[in-house]
Parts: sequence; structure tokens; C-alpha cells
Amino acid sequence: MRYYMKKIISLIMVLFLIMLLTFIAFQVIPGDSAASRLGVDAEPEAVEALRESLGLNKSLPERFFSFLGGAVRGDFGNSYQYSRPVREMLAARLPVTVGLAVISILMIVVLSVPLGLLCSRKEGGVADRVITMVTQTLMAVPAFFLGIVITLIFGLALKWFVPGAYVAPEEDFGGFLRYMIFPAVAIAVPKIAMTVKFLKTSVLRELKLDYVRTARSKGNSERAILWKHVLKNALIPVITFMGMVIADVLAGSIVVEKVFNLPGVGRLLITAISNRDYPVVEAGVVYIASVVLIVNFIVDLLYQKVDPRVRIK
Amino acid sequence: MEGKMQNLDMKHRRRQSNTKNVSLTIGIVLVSVVLFFVVVGLFWTPYEPTAMSAALKNKPPSLLHPFGTDNMGRDVLSRVMDGAGTTFIISIVTVAIGLAAGTLIGAFTGYYGGIVDEILMRLNDTLTSFPSILLALVFVSIIGTGKYNIILVLGIIFIPSFARVVRSEYIVQKELDYVRNAKLLGAGDLRIMFVHILPNTKPILLSAITIGLNNAILAEAGMSYLSLGVQPPDASLGRMLSEAQTYLLNAPWLALAPGLMIVFTVLGFSMISENIQK
Amino acid sequence: MEKQNHLLELCNVSVGFPKKGEKSQMNVVTHGVSFYVEQGEALGIVGESGSGKSVSMLAAAGLLGGGGKVVEGSIRFRHGEDSVALNTLTKKQMEGLLGDDIAMVFQEPMTSLNPVMTIGKQVEEMLELHTDIPKEERRERVLAMLGEVGLAEPAALYGKYPHQLSGGMRQRAMIAMAMILRPRLLIADEPTTALDVTIQAKILELLKKFQTEYKTTIILISHDLGVIRSVCGRAVVMCGGEVVEQGDVKTLFEQPQMDYTKRLLAAALGKGSLLKKAEIANRNETVVRARDYSVFYEEKTAGKKIKREVVKNVSFELYAGEIVGVVGESGCGKSTLAKALAGLNPLTGGSVDISCSQPQMVFQDPYGSLNPAKTIGWLLTEPLRLHRVGTKQQQREAACEMLEKVGLERDYYGRYPSTLSGGQRQRVAIAMAIMLKRKFILLDEPVSALDVTVQEQILILLVRLQKEFGLTYLFISHDMNVIHRICDRVFVMYQGEIVERGEAEEVFQNPQHAYTKKLLAARL
Repeated sequence: MRYYMKKIISLIMVLFLIMLLTFIAFQVIPGDSAASRLGVDAEPEAVEALRESLGLNKSLPERFFSFLGGAVRGDFGNSYQYSRPVREMLAARLPVTVGLAVISILMIVVLSVPLGLLCSRKEGGVADRVITMVTQTLMAVPAFFLGIVITLIFGLALKWFVPGAYVAPEEDFGGFLRYMIFPAVAIAVPKIAMTVKFLKTSVLRELKLDYVRTARSKGNSERAILWKHVLKNALIPVITFMGMVIADVLAGSIVVEKVFNLPGVGRLLITAISNRDYPVVEAGVVYIASVVLIVNFIVDLLYQKVDPRVRIK
Repeated sequence: MEGKMQNLDMKHRRRQSNTKNVSLTIGIVLVSVVLFFVVVGLFWTPYEPTAMSAALKNKPPSLLHPFGTDNMGRDVLSRVMDGAGTTFIISIVTVAIGLAAGTLIGAFTGYYGGIVDEILMRLNDTLTSFPSILLALVFVSIIGTGKYNIILVLGIIFIPSFARVVRSEYIVQKELDYVRNAKLLGAGDLRIMFVHILPNTKPILLSAITIGLNNAILAEAGMSYLSLGVQPPDASLGRMLSEAQTYLLNAPWLALAPGLMIVFTVLGFSMISENIQK
Repeated sequence: MEKQNHLLELCNVSVGFPKKGEKSQMNVVTHGVSFYVEQGEALGIVGESGSGKSVSMLAAAGLLGGGGKVVEGSIRFRHGEDSVALNTLTKKQMEGLLGDDIAMVFQEPMTSLNPVMTIGKQVEEMLELHTDIPKEERRERVLAMLGEVGLAEPAALYGKYPHQLSGGMRQRAMIAMAMILRPRLLIADEPTTALDVTIQAKILELLKKFQTEYKTTIILISHDLGVIRSVCGRAVVMCGGEVVEQGDVKTLFEQPQMDYTKRLLAAALGKGSLLKKAEIANRNETVVRARDYSVFYEEKTAGKKIKREVVKNVSFELYAGEIVGVVGESGCGKSTLAKALAGLNPLTGGSVDISCSQPQMVFQDPYGSLNPAKTIGWLLTEPLRLHRVGTKQQQREAACEMLEKVGLERDYYGRYPSTLSGGQRQRVAIAMAIMLKRKFILLDEPVSALDVTVQEQILILLVRLQKEFGLTYLFISHDMNVIHRICDRVFVMYQGEIVERGEAEEVFQNPQHAYTKKLLAARL
């Protein structure tokens, strides 16, 4: 129990730290956003009025805590550019990004475990060599280039989907899924390659350990050794690795959303950065950071569940 | 018994090393080809990379233009050579910054441990758990885009990963008897850290460098693809891909050359780094 | 040829491993090994590391890794009325035999057990694989077996994981696992090597008990002649992949025929070969004087730092020119004491005076104590560089001379440690320790990682150097025989205290403390 409390407290502390850094990065370092928004020729009175309405004339700690309070409630104020609540803009785009991430992660989990086991069972065999070669090459392909190639082949040549013609889920859920498959593949394939390789290395490392010899000496078949003894041990490091992969999937979605013209959080973030629309950037950063931290938190708990050696008495 | 097992193990490894040698060779060939283009591109390109021509708009690959021409009639091969150069220089400087600062931080924190180490590593863990592109976006949104900003941003972002690798190696090495021996002989801490231990981190640093170069190339390409990296008129592989996407229907070759350049480089480095690790 | 009562018989067995590159080519590691084990007896296989003793038994059980194969000869196992050739069985047939008829116990109980499976499940797996006993009954059987191997509270143990047990308990669990199906043959590969002397004896007793009670045939592989003698009736001596000698343990130990066996015995007994030492000890000149000396380790448990006292209030003197042995089991604090005297552990209490400046040290593992990134020459000249002794040329010359002094050629100067054998590395380590001509040298298990024959040479070298340079040694070892042969005086350490001390001869002839007696009884 104490372990969980400790983990939760440290999670909250890191989240707090992120908020603080975000605040410093986007509200302190850039300087007076009221003046910069209105331009150099602006009337001092107009600037003052804007400062007043944005709450910039308060002290820094006061501003930070009001920012923090807002962030906890999901309120990041209004977009500079569109004068709409950031929360609304984010909410509209969240389903796209979450959908994309979920489909990619499902693909990664479903495909990499069997492929990884297949490789390690027949190490040096034809299947292993082919898969190893393919995975090594695919790992070198950045998600956005893969996206372009997919667009070229499946969109333009085979016409399985219309590039850029995103279908919103509330209009046609089936169409949405059909369109999302392609960007999800672009994100998932390099990650599947990495996971397969990681799992294979992990299994092969385990197979060399003494306990495998013991299991053999008990009369276990090779199959039983792999499933009953090795797999659980080999998956322990894979859990941590999957945490990293999930964080990477989020990062990948930022880029791939542009390739497939998806109205997701990533695109919102990129546009906002180009336009120095800080409230939107803040929201995007805090959102992605929180997801990454929570994923890591879950990974820690899972790890602790699977590996008795780190379990707390 | 141990001796025998070691022997067996070595035999096993040697058997594997045969296939490993093949992949090392492929890796070296790939990287050399890419490097050849880059180095030549620094001094000479078939055409002026920025020379436009209305007559040559979006021409498919031909003998005169092996990778075709782009929407402004510029020679794609020349632009790829030029752009790959930019990407490479950015990546190398980035890795150099990360390596130098990371090694220093990793060596001191790993060797001395203590409170400073703990705080730095906590920070490090938190930072490295974020995708590097996200951190890069945050930095860029503050200090702005452009070649030099990208180098600075990526360099800083790469420090933690190098620091972590070096630190964990120092933690292992400092407990070895040869370090104790050096202490008894009268070597000071700095001499132990940088004369005795540092050479032993070479294999790990080499593989960290190749992995770092890959990450830097991918990060730069990604940033430039998002128009947040290298700005025109500078060419970079990511930037070219981004431009190529607009003309994907009419001129698919525009995307192929820069994309394959990235793939070959990353694949080559990853094959080399894998063999260094073994 | 084959007799009714031979349970397992190896006939002319050669084991090979695939060569690099050409997989069809085999690298043969054992050559025509032949021996047998009779039903119900305990056979010992003795030999140093690399002698092929484990490989032969792994071959019998079909557990050779890395593509290893029996390239020649046959391994026959009596199965009911007739016998089967183990090396021709299919995988499936072998799986049926393993665990059920042939069971194994390995050296490292920590790594040999699955870390994420409970002890109970691992023992129970034997029943699952080879019987169709119903679930509830299986658990009962497992609990009974755990009790039988002397584990307290089997019910609580059932759900525990290997890392929660001590080394001795883990090995007992391994034995429970191997014995639960009452196999006809139990192969124990160095089952006690990783354990302390006191626990060793108990594990061996347990094996003997099974042999007499269940008529289990035992093959015990060990490098330790004492272990073999306490359990086995007959033994096979192996060296370099060949059987050197075999026969009755009694005859083998009392009238060895072959040179190699004699050497092994001599090293184990330390008999008659007290090393000729120089009479240079001067009891009027104190080199080290320790008073109520304590050494602590800082441990982190549950986030709290706890200071653990490893060496407790010891007082002693070391005099110039003598060799003092500190003997005890792992964990008794002897190494910690040495490191603290060298100044490598700052957490000490009490007082210690060392008359010479910074003592030097030779460590146990010659693979860890030489920096792999540097040449031998660089390593030997480093102390001179650090203390600015001589010019570059003189430093080089001094290093080369030192190489000759420790019995290595001058051209080792440019070589890297990785190209040297264990014994050669230890010579370099010793050379490094005396480069600065300090009079007091700490030797922390300097020969424990070496093979018997190499041990001998290093001990002789140490004695010679001591005489030549007038050195004082503090010699740490767990090996009573080595201590006996080289030391003038002995300290026996137990749980951080010196429980007995005296002239070596006296301590060995007439031990006073119960613990010293136990240590002496455990050796040959």
C-alpha cells in the first residue's frame, strides 16, 4: 500500500513540475504576450486593457496558481488566434488522436508477440532470417515517410482510400475506422519491428539461463519451456519497453496526422507552435505529458505485479 | 565447468558472428554510399541545388536528372545531396554536443553518486520518458525555428540519453578491482575517471553514438517535415519530403529520393551499431 | 562388456561442439570417456574446470547446449530389463526419462530456479509432467517432500519465490524437486560449491540419506576432493577431456597411480609441502597495529541507510617480514578487513597504525583487477608515473625488470590483459603491487580463482618475492590448506571477529575454537 502511495505522490509531483515548467516556458520566457499580440504600434491603453483581461498584471505566483487551477479543470483559457476556449478545441480533436493511438497500439501488441516468439523459436531458421531482415529495414523507416509511401501505394495507386479525405467518426464510424487503419499502420509498423526484435533478444537471453537447463532436466518439452518458463521472464523487460513504445506512438501521431491530414491534437499543436498560440501549445504539451506519465505509472504497477523480485512485502 | 561453459558460449557466439559479419558489411556499405554522396555534395553537385527552371517542372527521372526534377524545376539529386549534407551536419553537431556534455555529466554522477546524482537522474528519467520530438517542439516553440536553433535544441535533448549510458557504465566500472587498484597506486579521482575508466566505455559510447546519429537524423527530418526545423532556402531531407507530399500524385519521385536516403542512413548505422554492441 | 548392475555406462564417449564457420566440423572436447555407475552406488567425478566432467554428464542427459553432440561412443542407461542408448533416443523419449528416471541438481541454486515461479509450483511441475496424480494430492506430496529435505514450514514456502530463500534453502528445494519422483539416477553437478562449509555438510548428508534410504544412484560432480570423499564410494578422475584414473575412493586417495591424481591430492591435502619460507620475520618491528578496529558497510534497506558492522572490534599486530593468514568463510568479514586496511572503506572505528605508506593489494579475480583497456606495460608504469619516479626510459626498464621478476617475458610489455591466462594476469597484478616497493602487501584470495597447478606456481612466486623484497603479507583465504602452507601466523575469522589466532602450525595441529575445528574437518 505504501508503495502505491509513494508512486502516486511522485506522479503528482512530476505533474506539478511539468505544469511549472510549462508555465515558465510559455508565460514567463516569451515576455509580455499582450504587447506582442497587439504589435509595436499598439496604443499603450489597448495593451493595458488586454493585459488586464488576460490577467497578466497579477504577480507571477498568482498567475501560476490560476494557471494550475485552470489546468486541473482542463481550462487553459482562450486561443489567441481563434478566440475560442482551448478546452473546446482540444475536445474536438481528442477522439482522432486517441483513436489513432489505440488502433496502433492494438496492432503492435497483437502482432509483435507472436512474431517475436516465432523468431526466437526457430532461431537462424528461414522465418527468423526473413523477419529479422524485414524488421531491421522497417525500423529504419520514419513513420512519416512510411505514411507517404502508404499514401502513394494504397491511396493513389490502389485507391483503397482517398488521401486527405478524413471521415469523422460521428458521420460514419465504419468509414472513420477504414481511413484510420492507414495512418495507424504507418505508426505501428516501425514499432512492431522494434518490439519483435526486443522480444526476440529477450527470449534468446532467457533461453541461455540456468533455469532453462533445469526445466529441460525435468523433462519439459521445448514448447512447454517456452510457454511455461521463458515467456513470463522474457516479457518483464518488454513491459518497460512497451511503455516507451506507447510514448513514441503519441509522438509519431503528431507527425503522421500531418501526412494523412487528420484533425488531431498533433496538428493543432503544430499549427499553434507556428502561430505562437501559447494557450493551445500549453494545453497540448500538458495533455501529452500527462498521458506519457500516466502510461509510465501503469507500466510501473504492471512491472511490479509481474516480477516477484520487485514486489513489496 | 565455468571455463567450459565460457568456451561453449564463445563458440556459439562465433557461429552467430558469421551472419553478423554480413550485416556489418551491409551497414558499412550503406553508410559509405550515403557518406560519399554527402561529402561530394559539400563541394560539387550535378546542378545548382537552387537553380530553378520553368521548363523542367516535375520531370520524371531521366538520364540527365536521375531522380527527376521538382515543382520548381530543380534537380532532385542535387537537392538530396545538398539536403543530406545539412541533415548530416546538424546530426553530427547535435550528437557531439550530447556526447560531450553527457559524458561529463554521466562520468561525474556515476562516479560520485550522492544527492546531485539522484536529483539529476530523476530529472533525466522524467525527460527521457518523453518522446524527444515533443521536447524538441516545446523548445522550438520558445526559441524559434532555423538551422542553429535545431542544433541547439536537439543537442540539449540528447544530453540525458548519453549521460544515462555513461553513468550506468561508470557505476559498474567503479566497483571493479582495477579501479580500486588504481586508487591504491595513488591515482586521483579525475585520473581514474578519464584515464582509467573512460577507455573502457568506448564500445558502449560507440554504439550510443551510432544510435544517437540515427535519432538525430530522424528527429531533424521529423522537425523539418513539420516545417519547424530547417527553413527555406536551406534544403533538408525532411523539408523535401514535406514539399514532395503536395505533388505526390503528379511527381511521386520527389518523395522517393530523400526518403530512401534517410532509410539507408538509419539502416546502415543501426546495422553497424548492432555489431559494435556484440 | 555390459553388466547387469550398471545403471549408466559411458563407452568411449567423445563430445564435440560445432566449429566456427564450418558447422559440419566439430571441436571435440572430451576424448573417449568410459566409465560406469552401478545401481545404488555413489560415484564421484573429480576434475578441474574444463576437464570435461560436466560436459560428459550433460551429454548423458542430452542437455548439451550450443549445438554440442556426442560424436562417438555410446551412453547406455538400464531401463527395466534391457538398456537403452541415451544418445540415440528421440527428444520425446528423452523427455520421458528426464526428471522421472534421471534427475539433476545444479551448482547455482539461485539461477537454476525459475525466478518468477513459486518454489511449490516448480517442485509440483515434476508431478504434472510425469504422473497423473490429481491436483489436491500433488500439493500434499510437494509439502511432504519439502519437509523431507529439511525445509521448515513447507506450507509457507510453497508460495515463495526463489529470491526469498537463502542459498542453502534453495539448494534443498532443488533437491526436493529432483527427488520427488524417486529417480533411479541423481546427477549432482557441484551441488555445494556455491554454499558455505557448514551448509555444505548438511546438503551432502541429505544426498547420502537419499542414497541409502531410496537406493538412489548418485553421480556427484565436484572439483572438491573432500566433498567426493564424504559421499562417494568410487570416483573417476578427469583431466583435459579424458579419464585419468578411476576406482575405489579409498585406494584412489591413499595410493594414487597417476601423476595428475597425485598432484590434485597434494594440492588438496597441502601435505608435506609446506613452502620453504625465509626466516625474515622480525617480531620487534611492528608494521600494523590495530586496536578495537571495526569496519562498517552502509546498506540501504527500505530507503533507510543502515550501518552494518562487518568487522567487529578486532585488535592485532603484524610484524615486519611475516606472512599472516586470515581464514574464514565468505561473509565473515575477512575481505572487508583487507579493503579497510588498504583504505578502500572509509567507514571504520577504533584505531589502526600502519608504519609504511599506502599498502598495496592483490585481488582475487585477475580478470577484474587489470584494466582491460591498457597494455601490461602501461599498467606497470602507471604507479611510477603517478609518483613521478624516473624518466620514461627508466620506467619502461623498471617495468620490464619486474616482468622478469614475476616470471614473465619482457615482450609481455605491449600485450593486453585479455591475451593472458588467469595465472599470467595474477603475476602482472602482483608485479603492479610491488612496483612501488611498499613493504606491506594485502593479498585477498590471490589464488582462489586459479586452477590447482597454477595456484602452486603463484604461491611459490609469492614466497620468493617476499624474501627478495622483505615484504609483509596479510594473506586472506577461505582455503585452509593454502593458509597452512604459506603462513607464519593465522587469524581465524567468524562473523566479523577473530575467534582464534596463533602460530600456523599450532592452530592446525591443535585447534581450540569449535569453529576452527569445523573448518579443519571440512577439508580432506
